Amino acid sequence: MAGQYGNQGICTGENTDQSVISIRHLRKEYPDVTPLADVSAEVKKGEVISVIGPSGTGKSTLLRCINLLEIPTKGEITVDGVVTTDKKCKVNLVRRKMGMVFQSFNLFAHKTVIENIMMGQVDLLGRSRQEAYDRGMELLRGIGLAEKALAFPDELSGGQKQRAAIARAVAMEPEILLFDEPTSALDPTMVGEVLSVIRSLARQGMTMIIVTHEMKFARDVSTRVWYMDQGEIYEDGLPEQIFHHPKRERTRIFVRQLKVLHAEKISCDFDFPAFMTRLEEFGRKQQLTQRQIFAMQLAVEEVLMQKLLPVGRGTEKMDISLDVEYSERENLAQMRFAYGGPSFHPFGSGDDLSGRMMKGMSVGMEHRFVDGVNHFIISI
Amino acid sequence: MKITKTQNGNHLCFALEGRLDTNTAPELEMAMKGAIDGVGELTIDMSSLDYLSSAGLRVLLGAQKIMNKQGSMRVTHVNDTIMEIFEVTGFSDILTIEKA
Repeated sequence: MAGQYGNQGICTGENTDQSVISIRHLRKEYPDVTPLADVSAEVKKGEVISVIGPSGTGKSTLLRCINLLEIPTKGEITVDGVVTTDKKCKVNLVRRKMGMVFQSFNLFAHKTVIENIMMGQVDLLGRSRQEAYDRGMELLRGIGLAEKALAFPDELSGGQKQRAAIARAVAMEPEILLFDEPTSALDPTMVGEVLSVIRSLARQGMTMIIVTHEMKFARDVSTRVWYMDQGEIYEDGLPEQIFHHPKRERTRIFVRQLKVLHAEKISCDFDFPAFMTRLEEFGRKQQLTQRQIFAMQLAVEEVLMQKLLPVGRGTEKMDISLDVEYSERENLAQMRFAYGGPSFHPFGSGDDLSGRMMKGMSVGMEHRFVDGVNHFIISI
Repeated sequence: MKITKTQNGNHLCFALEGRLDTNTAPELEMAMKGAIDGVGELTIDMSSLDYLSSAGLRVLLGAQKIMNKQGSMRVTHVNDTIMEIFEVTGFSDILTIEKA
């Protein structure tokens, strides 16, 4: 993503191709950690963007920077044409355009549900108490919480609290809603009721950025997905791309929830017995069956020791690497070999002993030759 | 891999322990070389064998070819995982196998 916006000038307030939010080279550093390295992105009106990725990769920090709950170290954020990272920017006016829903609800415990929803409307939007009450009740009825209007937050379940928090954010008539892991603190049985409220907002055309670990939800509800890793938006694409045809390696590993064992620079000096031990430990850690571990070890041995490494092939130029990936969801292990040299299918020439063995012990084999690199995959 | 050789008249037994793979198959090949000359009955005891790859199968095939000319060969105490290897490679039709 870095550099994509390098030639564009600083936004001065005009409409930027209908971008509601424009982020350029955003960086956030703390003394000992840099959660955001370099993030550039655009959000258009009506988009629903899910932000996914491993913990600690800057997802929440990005939301908090957008909302100026954190001050970015570098970079520029434009919201609805206003450069919010400009020191002269009136933060409260910007925040009014954005609602934020937190993982821990952040409702005022000493106020009832309806008072929580009315407060901002009266204090910041200048609505009368009656108007604020009417709008609050309308929203509560829409999410099935009207009868809880006079209850205090502590009298609600987690799912109810989060729905009330969403109603409070919506009551401020924001142009954008930011959700920071809205279901992470909930009992699993309550996740659905909160997601259904967010789905409903998506249908109404609300522009939203949602940091979430709910992959199915992200796939179903989003117009676009940002996969964040190592402090950047590592891959930005339609849900179909990110979840089914990711273009980049780390995205694929994350969305398929793969456990990975990696070996590279495999040559004739490769410590084969030590790798077999690592493979066995990896298999046991993932609770694979003895048969699966056996078949994985066979795949490594037959491909490397019998086919790729024997004299004439195991040169440094081959640059052999291996990723062993296990998907718990599919209970499928894949041995993914990559190597240079001319196109070569290890078991492509005839029906030799190693080939028969691997054909019988695997559920599939696939060879591709792309850009001068062989990719050979054995599924077990 | 540990190889234990026991001879009783013209009956020779190799008990294998551990892994019979690319690294260890030459050890078995060396141990058999010369030792099976004139042997009428050869047994390969796999009760403590954990792993078998194509390199090991090739050694077994070589031994079977020799024993075809001079006597008989049995592979005994074969566990389920190794039996699957024999089956998918067609070795179960070539060797005389006794399961564990």
